[in-house]
Amino acid sequence: MLTEIQEGKALNPVVKHITQEKINVYAEASGDFNPIHIDESFAARTPLGGTIAHGMLSLAYVSEMMASAFGRNWLSEGKLRAKFKEPARPGDTLTVDGRVDCIEKKDDVSYANCVFECRNQKGEMIVTGEAIVKLSSDKK
Amino acid sequence: MPDRAISYEELTPGYKFPSTTFELSASFVSKYLKAVDSESDGFVPPLAITACAIAATTKSVPLPRDTTAIHASQELEFFKMVPIGTTIECRIGVLQKISRGKMSMLILELEVFDKDKEKVQSGKATIALPT
Repeated sequence: MLTEIQEGKALNPVVKHITQEKINVYAEASGDFNPIHIDESFAARTPLGGTIAHGMLSLAYVSEMMASAFGRNWLSEGKLRAKFKEPARPGDTLTVDGRVDCIEKKDDVSYANCVFECRNQKGEMIVTGEAIVKLSSDKK
Repeated sequence: MPDRAISYEELTPGYKFPSTTFELSASFVSKYLKAVDSESDGFVPPLAITACAIAATTKSVPLPRDTTAIHASQELEFFKMVPIGTTIECRIGVLQKISRGKMSMLILELEVFDKDKEKVQSGKATIALPT
């Protein structure tokens, strides 16, 4: 699978629908019960105007795309840097896209440098960033 | 146990919160996978581990009153795959504390270790605190 990785290659997108139920389950699983995520009346009184998904929920979709493309290399030696630009809200459909920006070799080890973005159904940027995955080592 | 004694005002770069431990049980992973609408390949998804670390952060960090914490950015590095059932230890420290007008930013360093004290992942979280 990794032999097909080349510069410019688009990664298979991940599309997910956000619901308040998923946000609540995420809060239970992670233990992050910040009311901005789960308390609709509290969230309505904040400048955000309503509940928002945990940033790490959107980032999980990015990780799913990377794991799908790079398998265990991502799980064991992945690196990412992400900026949360806008909150994802219940009712949003998020699409994560990514591509291999370049392949670099450092000390006989190849790395795929990828860029990714996650947008909602209106095209608004939710998360953007870069991810790096070790591809192979020529070291003996 | 979270350190409730320290206030946000007292937090300074270099401060280390007491470490917290989590068991990445099958039921936890199952609930996490349901939340993120995904499937398992026998290992704990790395972002599930980060979710525990972030939750530990939000419980440990004393926020100013009437503030809503917003996760502004995240850096992560994974070092090994983690089998389901592993107990992890999360260590969190303050890297930077920035105040700009009505916005405060807290930059936190996260490190996660397994029971053999091997590093599983590390990262940096930027939390924005509009007041």
